[in-house]
Amino acid sequence: MTRQDFISRLRAGLRGLAPPAIEEIVADYETHFVEAQAAGRGEAEVAAALGDPDRVARELRAEAGLRRWEVERNPSAAANAVWAVLGLGAIDLLVLLPIVLWIGGTLLGLFIAAGALVVVGAVMMVAGPVVVHGAPVMALALGGLGLIAAATSLGCIATIVSIGCTNALVWYGRLHMRLLKPALEPQGAV
Amino acid sequence: MVEAVQVQLKKGVLELCVLALLSRGDAYGYEIASRLAQGIEMGEGTVYPLMRRMQSDGLVATYLVESPAGPSRKYYRLTDVGRAAFETQKTEWTAFSAAVDAILGGAQ
Repeated sequence: MTRQDFISRLRAGLRGLAPPAIEEIVADYETHFVEAQAAGRGEAEVAAALGDPDRVARELRAEAGLRRWEVERNPSAAANAVWAVLGLGAIDLLVLLPIVLWIGGTLLGLFIAAGALVVVGAVMMVAGPVVVHGAPVMALALGGLGLIAAATSLGCIATIVSIGCTNALVWYGRLHMRLLKPALEPQGAV
Repeated sequence: MVEAVQVQLKKGVLELCVLALLSRGDAYGYEIASRLAQGIEMGEGTVYPLMRRMQSDGLVATYLVESPAGPSRKYYRLTDVGRAAFETQKTEWTAFSAAVDAILGGAQ
């Protein structure tokens, strides 16, 4: 592999990261090639010693995704972290994917149910007395409030469970970061 | 799980090695990579992701120095946090390896 191949595959693999981060990473490896050549080593040899650029890129992207989740706890960062871990290929996808989909689906269902309950409760409180003539206003209002409260706690529980699940996955993904594994294997095998 | 433990072990040791190198003086990326490649036969490509991780953990900081040979070199230096982490990890490592040695020695 030439220096150009290595750099372009690395760059392609890093797509999705913030552009300044990509430039910084690419610059690190560019400098590495320059220094190595100054030390009298050939391009192909240096590229081989650096390892697989796709894997380097995957791992750097995963690390960025996991960090984002640690800094900003929001659904998009969570989704990002989950995909980053799956993208590592460190975990057997066939085993993990059904579990992730199942948990994700259940949680999504809970959120939708919570949302629907809020709507039903609100309608009951506001529109109930108008639609149903002579209905007990107080009872409808209390019932509606109760539904909204139940929906809120359902939503909270689902959120806590989502955060827990994402954390567990991130922890598992970190354990399996592969990049350092070939590090202690003989150079020739890379 | 055994594999995961091994990966964690290696990860910890690599970080310790980088901390040790930098405790003796600032170094630039290629220097660190080639020192570690010689010393413990690790893939050179590993160093850069590791350095980024250590940088965002606040263990090392970087600065650029003009190089006569081409692009400016990014030097790494230990932060106070990094220095403290080095002392802690070094102590842990010494105790751990002494314990392992004692067991290995006793088995002969």
